[in-house]
Amino acid sequence: MTDTALNTRDNLSLIQRIRRDYSPLVIVMVGIFLLVFVAGAVFTDDFLTWFNVKTIIRDAALVGIMAIGLTFVTLSGNFFLLSMKEIAALSIICFATLMSADWNQWGPVEGDPTTWSLTMTFLVAFVATMVIATVAGALQGALIGLGGNPIVVTLGAAGLFFGIGSWWSDNLVVSYRRPHGAEWLGTGSFIGDIPNITVAFIIIAVVAELTLRHTTFGRQVYLVGANRAAGRATGHENFGMAIKCCIIASVCAAFVAVAFSGQVSSAHVNYFSSEFGSSGDMTIMVIAIVMVGGNSIMGGYGSTLRTSLGAIFISSIDNMMVLNGFNSGARVLAVGLMIVFSIIVFALVRRGSRAVE
Amino acid sequence: MERIKNWVTENPDLSFAILLAITVYTFFAITEPLFFTHRTGYAIMERFAVLGLVGLALTLCIIAGEIDLSIGSNAALAAVITVRFTDDWGAINALLVAVAISTSIGAIQGYFIAYLRIRAIVLTVGTLMLLRGVALFAAEEKTVMLTDFRIPDFISTKMLGYFSPASLLVIGMFIVVGLFMTFTRYGREIYAIGGARKEALASGISLQRPMIIVFAISGLCAGLGGAIIGLRSGTAQALGLQYLLLAGTVAAFIGGVSILGGKGGVIGAAIGTLTVNFLNTGLVFNVTPAFMVQLYLGILLLVVIMFQTGSRVFEERQRRSQLLDDVDRRRSILSDKIAALRRPSG
Amino acid sequence: MADQPLLRLTDISRHYGAIQALRGANFEIGRGEVMGLVGENGAGKSTMVKIIGGFDTGFSGEYFYDGEVRHFHSPTAAEQVGIAIAQQELSLIPTMSVAENIFLAGDGVPQIASRKTLAKMAKPFLEEVGLGHIDPLRSTTRLSVGEQHLVEVARLIAHNPQVLILDEPTAALGETDSIRILDMVSRLKESGKSVIYVSHRMDEIFKICDRITVLRDGESQAPRAAADMDVNSLVEMMLGFELGDMYPARTPVPRDEPVLKVRELWPDGIIEPISFDVYPGEILGLAGQLGSGTSEILGAMAGSTKTRGGKLHYKGEAFLPTRPKDTIRRGIAYCSEDRKHDGLFLGRPIMENLSAPSLETISSNGFLSGAKELSSTTENAVKFTVDPKRLPQEAGVLSGGNQQKVALGKWLSISPDVILVNEPTRGVDVGARAEIYQILRDLADQGAAIVVASTDIQEITNLPDRIVSFYRGVQIGELQLDEMTSANILEQITDPFHEAGIAVSEKAS
Repeated sequence: MTDTALNTRDNLSLIQRIRRDYSPLVIVMVGIFLLVFVAGAVFTDDFLTWFNVKTIIRDAALVGIMAIGLTFVTLSGNFFLLSMKEIAALSIICFATLMSADWNQWGPVEGDPTTWSLTMTFLVAFVATMVIATVAGALQGALIGLGGNPIVVTLGAAGLFFGIGSWWSDNLVVSYRRPHGAEWLGTGSFIGDIPNITVAFIIIAVVAELTLRHTTFGRQVYLVGANRAAGRATGHENFGMAIKCCIIASVCAAFVAVAFSGQVSSAHVNYFSSEFGSSGDMTIMVIAIVMVGGNSIMGGYGSTLRTSLGAIFISSIDNMMVLNGFNSGARVLAVGLMIVFSIIVFALVRRGSRAVE
Repeated sequence: MERIKNWVTENPDLSFAILLAITVYTFFAITEPLFFTHRTGYAIMERFAVLGLVGLALTLCIIAGEIDLSIGSNAALAAVITVRFTDDWGAINALLVAVAISTSIGAIQGYFIAYLRIRAIVLTVGTLMLLRGVALFAAEEKTVMLTDFRIPDFISTKMLGYFSPASLLVIGMFIVVGLFMTFTRYGREIYAIGGARKEALASGISLQRPMIIVFAISGLCAGLGGAIIGLRSGTAQALGLQYLLLAGTVAAFIGGVSILGGKGGVIGAAIGTLTVNFLNTGLVFNVTPAFMVQLYLGILLLVVIMFQTGSRVFEERQRRSQLLDDVDRRRSILSDKIAALRRPSG
Repeated sequence: MADQPLLRLTDISRHYGAIQALRGANFEIGRGEVMGLVGENGAGKSTMVKIIGGFDTGFSGEYFYDGEVRHFHSPTAAEQVGIAIAQQELSLIPTMSVAENIFLAGDGVPQIASRKTLAKMAKPFLEEVGLGHIDPLRSTTRLSVGEQHLVEVARLIAHNPQVLILDEPTAALGETDSIRILDMVSRLKESGKSVIYVSHRMDEIFKICDRITVLRDGESQAPRAAADMDVNSLVEMMLGFELGDMYPARTPVPRDEPVLKVRELWPDGIIEPISFDVYPGEILGLAGQLGSGTSEILGAMAGSTKTRGGKLHYKGEAFLPTRPKDTIRRGIAYCSEDRKHDGLFLGRPIMENLSAPSLETISSNGFLSGAKELSSTTENAVKFTVDPKRLPQEAGVLSGGNQQKVALGKWLSISPDVILVNEPTRGVDVGARAEIYQILRDLADQGAAIVVASTDIQEITNLPDRIVSFYRGVQIGELQLDEMTSANILEQITDPFHEAGIAVSEKAS
């Protein structure tokens, strides 16, 4: 047994393996990206400081967690959800409304609420938000699984969720005074000076990667994404897969919404549309990360590790440009160029391999 | 009467669209006395000027079996360019430059989609971001504004009762594109690559020409729409106009396009847009907050999608029963021979 | 017949990797002639057709058209001089009308025209193919499959071709539609066009062809006048030398209790409900040509083709599968004929392909066990002579033969009692074929029941222990090992109602 195990490993060096597994175009592209990155890192002051690295990863965390969720949808061959930011918007409203509600104050009516009551409030709000996100994800997943086009379904769902969120909050900012758990999640840190959201990002990234690699569910995601017909023929149907993946993506979006709400102790449906980050649109940012990470948009190829690295990469480029005094136009342009560039390179590679067939 | 019945059975989607449009219009006309007025008619046509262009662009894309997600960004870019350079170059020149840029962006996208053989959503989600960056750059990250408000006034001048120069231009555009799609070989090619991509390629159509045409028209519409919005309101934001995608998609789907491509047309796009406009305008009359419109549009889109998925299942069933009938017919023809075959062997 | 043939190909050779599709074959056709092109599956017919039509440019040999040497680089180039192919697969746009379909691409398509104008222009071409009664503005989806094939031909005729290639035009058609196609061919002939008619159906070949060219193992026989031949002599010419040693030896199988009883199963597209038994330890062959329904039957048994009804009796239980999961769970494996479509995950490693149907057995509580997966897939890879070192590689890099082995081998992981295989060796080179045959035989010897459907006459003659034959969706009969000669089988699957016999005698009189 150990003999065969050894035999299945190739006796190739790392470079040889890379050259075998990746086409020259991809190697060149990654090379260019790395070159830009290293040059920027060297010539930017204050870039390679511990503080700055922490900032980069913290900035990558929010979009990164969402992108990890979306990666499941993409890998399973269901393209992407155009409703990521709207799910987050609905979730943040749900969370903040419940956090600010009076009926949730377990404990004495007069005076300061106890720690226990604050924790309970947080837990109830958190669980309710996750339930809403699950329902939202399951709804979209079911429509996609029944044969609806993912793009159009989620475009419609986006309008629906955004509308519900606006209606629920009367399009106003919902603020709450005692964030407690949410604040701990959003801005606190329990391991030294590493923000908890960064820790959450790392944990989610690791769990997601392990799920994809070492569980039957993860394997099914890849198989169904690689060839839906063959997946069906071997007993793995897309209907359940679409629902599960959409739920994962939605729950990740809701988690980000809760964490973000904790950072600002308030909520508004537009938080993820206009005021968030440089891009002005979180959905597109998330899709950009999945694409720049090198995941196949048609499904079946990629990993959440790539997505996480993509998030950190985009975040560092962004950070580098901020440090060098570029403003948002240039930064959005840079991300846009990166996506289009990687789309074209991956498409060229696929075209090339198809010509061989 | 007989002819109407025939027409309805021949064009179920269009009939449904017309019925829906009339229903929505009648509903608001009854509940809102002000709805049935000259001014409202004008307001609807003004909205039609912009949304109609986007609905038209998306209709063409979906007929070709693709979807252009970058339409909002492209429109925003055109709006920014038009507004920013009107003072320097004059409105006409700025508008022409903006529309030319948008059209070329569309054509380039179409070329890459055909050349790389990728789905349009993949590329256009990238260009969505890229064009926003370009627009931010062009606007220097500010909200650009007009200083001279004679142009906005001119664009919205009332003509022929319900129309303005902008809406007349758009109606002209609808007619030209409609004629193009119905009567020219290139229009038919667009229908063909959408209806059955593989078969169309097998029968000798090249993907490149129709793709470039579709996305160039899409860029043209987006550019023109953006420019009109920019000039009319006198301001433009690089990150604005993203709502156009949802509204345009809803309009296109109500107008009878199928997500599978190859179906629908310009008349449908016009009716679909009008329906969305009736809804929009009517809701404003009902003092519905603007964000609720999104909610209704989202629900509308989901309903239309479910309706289409259902009708696909129905068609599948019909095809199967046709096949089974065919089998039964063959069985009755062959029954003697089969009986003869079975006899000797017992 | 003119002295000089319109189209002549001499000494044509073509190989795809290890497979030699054509070796020094010749072909010719005169003006106004209907030339039949026949041969078993894999004899090189489709390669020949592709070369004539300009789809395949990598051949060696001489190509003369109208007395001139030609070497077309694309189908369009061939079309321009007047060679047109009606492919087996329809290429009509279902959302468009008949007239629009006829004037879709190529020369002579008007730049600007209304639908009415197109309809008017389409009318004569429709009349020429016998569809004069059909409204050119009707949507193509409302036509029968046969009518759609005729529209396809009308589209070709609109470009005024001199040579028309019809590649199995009647394979998927019923009798009435087939007759229409035959009528059309004779009309085309009268109008002076040359037609190359590729078919498996003896009755049709004898009804309409002037001469017949037989391909056998990539070599051509000199064309002979159809009037000089009958079904038997044609069959004799088609059958090559039997590569007996490629196939494992067969010994009589004891048949006590069937493992799987198919009862009144009625898949869509099959004329009558079918019933047969499958015994453990045997290889049962479903013999039939393209369009005979064998694919549908296997698909229905596996739950991937819709059925009108029927039952499978298996391990004391009667059920009708509606999706592949139903049968996989019970230990029935199904390997379809198109491995690229639903047999393989080309972009995934071979190991994942091999373990795809049996994720439950290599995992506990939803967690995959890498060691279990490695050992079980290595075992199956060794059984199928796939190098275990290649397990981490993508399935897409494998040759056709190895791909087929992986597509088949993945089913061993569920330890199936019944294995359904459609076209076990399509697109597989000779070496891998012999290996696949041996593996199937070994599996049968170990007690599995194997059902093979094949259109390859050599394969269906030499591999199975027993045959059930089908013709145009009708179950014809059953042949035991001692009755299984190629001639017997061919008679049952090409001409069970003795239609060609009648045709031949009519010609003689």
